[in-house]
Amino acid sequence: MTRFLRATARVLGRSVAIFVPVFLVATFVTFALRALSGLSPANLQLGESATPEAVAAIEHQWGLDRPFLTQYADWFGDLLRGDLGTSWHNGAEISRLLAEGAVISLSVAGLALLIGVVFGFGFGVLAALRRTTWVDRAVTGVMTFISVMPSFVVGIALVGVLAVGLGWFPSAGYAPAERGFGVWLAHITLPAIALSFDTVSDVARQLRAGLVAAYRENYVTGAVVRGLGPHRIFFRHVLRNGIGPSLAVLGLKFPNLLGGAVVTEAIFGMPGFGQFAAGSAQRGDVPAVQGVLVVSVVLVVVFNLLVNLILARVAPASARGV
Amino acid sequence: MLRRIARLTTGRIALGILATVGLLAVFGPVLAPYDPLESGADILASPSWAHLLGTDYLGRDVLSRLLDGSRVSILGAVQVALIALVVGVVPGILSVYLGRPFEWLTLRLADTLVALPFLVFAVAVTALLGNGIPQAMFVVGIMVSPLFYRVARAATLSVARSQYVEAAIIAGASVGWVIRRHVWVKVLPPIAVALANTTGVGFVVVSSLTFLGIGVQPPAPTWGGVLAADLGYLSFQPWAPLVPTALIMATVWACNLLADAIRDVTGEAGRALLNTRTVRAGLSGAGREA
Repeated sequence: MTRFLRATARVLGRSVAIFVPVFLVATFVTFALRALSGLSPANLQLGESATPEAVAAIEHQWGLDRPFLTQYADWFGDLLRGDLGTSWHNGAEISRLLAEGAVISLSVAGLALLIGVVFGFGFGVLAALRRTTWVDRAVTGVMTFISVMPSFVVGIALVGVLAVGLGWFPSAGYAPAERGFGVWLAHITLPAIALSFDTVSDVARQLRAGLVAAYRENYVTGAVVRGLGPHRIFFRHVLRNGIGPSLAVLGLKFPNLLGGAVVTEAIFGMPGFGQFAAGSAQRGDVPAVQGVLVVSVVLVVVFNLLVNLILARVAPASARGV
Repeated sequence: MLRRIARLTTGRIALGILATVGLLAVFGPVLAPYDPLESGADILASPSWAHLLGTDYLGRDVLSRLLDGSRVSILGAVQVALIALVVGVVPGILSVYLGRPFEWLTLRLADTLVALPFLVFAVAVTALLGNGIPQAMFVVGIMVSPLFYRVARAATLSVARSQYVEAAIIAGASVGWVIRRHVWVKVLPPIAVALANTTGVGFVVVSSLTFLGIGVQPPAPTWGGVLAADLGYLSFQPWAPLVPTALIMATVWACNLLADAIRDVTGEAGRALLNTRTVRAGLSGAGREA
């Protein structure tokens, strides 16, 4: 147990050493967007015909006439306290607006992740166990096919067949969990499936490759020779050694699941994170866009931290940085 | 190398599709039988000799719109790949030679870019910095560049530690000569694979953005835009979305096939590409192998 704790601490330490700079760079870029875009709340509030004095007054009111680095320091300080500022569009607290959208997007992304893990690992293991048979070829073929289907294509097909055609699912909208678990699940299922295809195919193919490679190792032959059962060989020797890359892929998939929300939420008409991002961006509401970007970076970083910890537990070699 | 790729069946299929698509991008607007923006009296017409793919809800010829829109989609994808190539490869090679601080800095930048949900970023930046596909693709290209960075770096590392390069350096070769003479050859095949994959990724991104109507002004035709328009009239023309969908998927698929073919031909496999695969897998709904 102490060895496990020490490994965990080491992974945490290394991950933090990577993620702190990532966070700093990403937030700085995000903040610099306003200066680069040249947008100002005056555009939103006063329109095209504003006098320069009125624009200056509004910019002063928002503190935009201060030096760039002062603004950045203020913004970053607020950020660390969880304050993302107020929207230029309607003056609402961005953190509150985002929280509403994030619940929806994370529901969908979470379910998509679950589908990705269950089916990705299922198909990957299946193909690896039946390697070089028709089962393997069929699984690999299907995975390759679904990997070239953009999520909007999958989404449309699902809406067309399962929602409009058969009427099994609602075709659009979101229902909060308070209205009942079944209703909530029905609304997020189709977008989650649309979002998950990419994850399923990548995890499955990566896992298959990892497991097949592990089966070729000498220690597996050794285990067979020693008379160990197929179950024990699979779980103790093959799985633990072959699972690493697919877990790493899973970690890298998370940004996609969040980013894909922009597309799926548009198709399924869900007022989530992605719709908020697209809407704010088109309105020129810079603080809101910055909020979206910062929150997504934080989510991605936290998720990757978790994946690294699991990876260290399952495949101890990764904790040593091999 | 092209000839060796063309000897593989998959390579031939990939090259064939991509060549067709490339021709569409060049000649599509000329070939279009009608003005893609001109509305006609026939609204939502079925395919006929006058309108091979029918007309849309404003009576515009769908074939003309697809042909005319091919250029935006394809140029966008190529732009993503080329920007990622330029931004990624040079620091990737130099990170091995320019010392620890540069290496650390570029690695952290690559980590950062990979960690960002790039579709959200593309949407944000497109809207804030000027609404246009080139701006969006520029951002996406930069965000995809870590793939090239890692591929180039991995290949360079493997060469830099090889005995023949050590021998060359002992014999008095300069770093510049080593890069030109040894590193470059080693870096090219994985870059070619990455280039094919990134084009596929770029293609999905352009299609997604144009599907959402981000980065294009409304009447201008794009593949994604035609698809989005078809969806509104599913009950009249249930088959209509199939055409743009098939175009988009075939192109992405051809990019992936080409990547596989290059990998088969150059024998690029194993460790150098392990990083590539995981990074590539993190990019989008396209790219990667069986």
